[in-house]
Amino acid sequence: MIAALTQDSTLLATILATMLPFVAFLVIMVFARNHRGLSAGLSIGAIMVSLLGAVFLLTRHWQLEVPIQYLGRWLVSGDIHIPFGFLLDQPSLLMLTIVATISFLVQIYSLGYMAGDAGFSRYYAFMSLFAWAMMNLTLAPTMVQLYIFWELVGLSSYLLIGFWYEKFSATEAGKKAFVMTRFGDVAFFLGLLLALVNLGNLNILEMNSPQVTERMSPLLITIASLLIFGGIVGKSAQFPLLTWLPDAMEGPTPVSALLHSATMVAAGVYLFGRLFPFFSHSATAMAVFLAIGTISMLLASTMAMVSRDIKQVWAYSTISQLGFMIMGLAAGSYFSGMFHLTTHAGFKALLFLCAGVFIHVFETNDVFEIGRRGGRRLKVPMICTVIGAAALAGLPPFSGFFSKELILAALADLKNPLWLVAGLLGVFFTAYYTFRLIFIILRPEDILDETGIHHDHGHGSYWLMGWPLILLAAITAVLGFFEGTLEDFFKAQQFIPTTGGGHHSWLSFAALGTAGAGVVLAWIEYGRRSATRIGFAERIAPLNNLFAERWYIDRFYRRFLDVFIYGMVSRGFANNDNKVIDGGIDGLSRGTVATGRFTSVLHLGMIQYRLLTIFVVIVLLALYFFF
Amino acid sequence: MIVPFGHVLLLAGLLFLMGMVCMVVRRSLIMILLGVEIMLNAAAIILVGSSLLWQQLEGQSIVLFVFAIAGAEVSVGLALIVWAHRQTGSVDPRDFNRLK
Repeated sequence: MIAALTQDSTLLATILATMLPFVAFLVIMVFARNHRGLSAGLSIGAIMVSLLGAVFLLTRHWQLEVPIQYLGRWLVSGDIHIPFGFLLDQPSLLMLTIVATISFLVQIYSLGYMAGDAGFSRYYAFMSLFAWAMMNLTLAPTMVQLYIFWELVGLSSYLLIGFWYEKFSATEAGKKAFVMTRFGDVAFFLGLLLALVNLGNLNILEMNSPQVTERMSPLLITIASLLIFGGIVGKSAQFPLLTWLPDAMEGPTPVSALLHSATMVAAGVYLFGRLFPFFSHSATAMAVFLAIGTISMLLASTMAMVSRDIKQVWAYSTISQLGFMIMGLAAGSYFSGMFHLTTHAGFKALLFLCAGVFIHVFETNDVFEIGRRGGRRLKVPMICTVIGAAALAGLPPFSGFFSKELILAALADLKNPLWLVAGLLGVFFTAYYTFRLIFIILRPEDILDETGIHHDHGHGSYWLMGWPLILLAAITAVLGFFEGTLEDFFKAQQFIPTTGGGHHSWLSFAALGTAGAGVVLAWIEYGRRSATRIGFAERIAPLNNLFAERWYIDRFYRRFLDVFIYGMVSRGFANNDNKVIDGGIDGLSRGTVATGRFTSVLHLGMIQYRLLTIFVVIVLLALYFFF
Repeated sequence: MIVPFGHVLLLAGLLFLMGMVCMVVRRSLIMILLGVEIMLNAAAIILVGSSLLWQQLEGQSIVLFVFAIAGAEVSVGLALIVWAHRQTGSVDPRDFNRLK
């Protein structure tokens, strides 16, 4: 096997790229917990090798025609064969590169951000664990392996959200994230079981092949698709399981940048892309997905419009953009969703990292505070934030403009114009809340003097935090122009139904117009010198409350939990535990004690009890002998 | 025999049972001794009855021995009860329970 490894450089690169972070995790957790430099070095070294491996694989297999699979025998039971291994085709190679790049940049950034933290080594161990799990998820050839690493990614998310575990809100948020995504994963697993029973195995290439329609009826495909989509709803924080993501901002900002904007929550959309041919067989399911994506997008945009916390705005934005990606995929255009996934990973990570710099310097998450204390004086983060925001709002020439164009084109191809209107409305809201935040920081009402910023970290950590920002901003600026090459890259992928899209020349102007309108509205309300700094949504108190309370979804969940789960189910189980199980054991012990007390009576010096015993025995013997 | 042997057995049995009950139930050492006496008398009735049944005199001579032994035993027992009463001040068997 070693000979095979050294001869096949692809296999070697794949194994090194995916396994080294796991090795780093183990080594750090076992040996290097107290050595901060060693832990960071191990983790960053592993992810650097992963990045080199991913880039090598991507460039070597740029002209891939047939997917490459490496499979090892793993689960065999009767007719069911589920192997373990790697699947290399266009989406997995691209996603691997995205994950490796952003993991690398975030880990470099964390050297500056997390410096001085008590759990520094633990942080890097969990980062490596996450990188390992995410990369194996992208390269999984079977749904079972993907599910395993899906859960592992959820685990590392839980560990990293609750990283500062002394803080109660952080542990609560971690628990909430894990339980909510787990809830979606139950549906996911049921869908997988349905597919397994009907297809005999869960190989992704087989699930995507056209022969699936012969073995599964359309109804079964629809049900399986809807169930699997439950997992996507949980992981990508779509309606109705979207409230865990804003709470997940309790974790460190690099964690938010890596997991909850670019990679982990994108795993849901990646799964959608993975099973795109399978889902395409069922028009009903795609329609449901389109609806859920639209609802999530619009809902989250409204929530972002009234939020004061910088990380929460980007969190709602992530939910909204993921909904937008799902809209594009569900409308039938594979490439638009995958391209927006790529560009979004870039600029959302950029936005979060810039937010991290502001939070690190000013020690507050509040946007108005950051503006007031002189946020605009930090040149590099401010410029990078503006670049990221422009990409997010869909302004040319940044990458977001190109990818949003594609999705809107896909929506325009649908029969019902409602979806396109919803998409354009989403673009308007996105531009509005993004530039609301920018103008609050850029043009605050009053601004404190220089004493607001403290320079006690020295320039070293600022450079560490600065370079990833600059790199990501550069990527955001140029990635849009690679649309053509990426489209060619994806053309060779098998089984993707090609959509003949009409060319809508008016679409670019419509998209630019709505984005521009959003920016202008934000300027009028927040940017002008005479601006009131109260948004139109904040003026209407019921709307403000509705958006600020996340459309009362959390309240609903809380009430549901309290009444049903804690009130009935938990109470029933607790009673069972106390009265039946404990009561039984206690009764047994009480009975034993009572029996002991009873029989100990015979050991007393009580004459008459002993006499009674003697007489009873004599009578019984007499009865026995004479009858 | 004037009465059927069965009646003699029944009488003696009932007397024995009553002696047992007296020994077990009464809360006085003297009553325990009394119970012993009743049981001995019951045994004596059986012995006399069976000697009449089988027309042999040994049964009745055994009864004489039994009475002598019963008298000796009662004297020793009463002496012990008097000593016990002097030691603890009561004749209740429950008060002599030193094995807790």
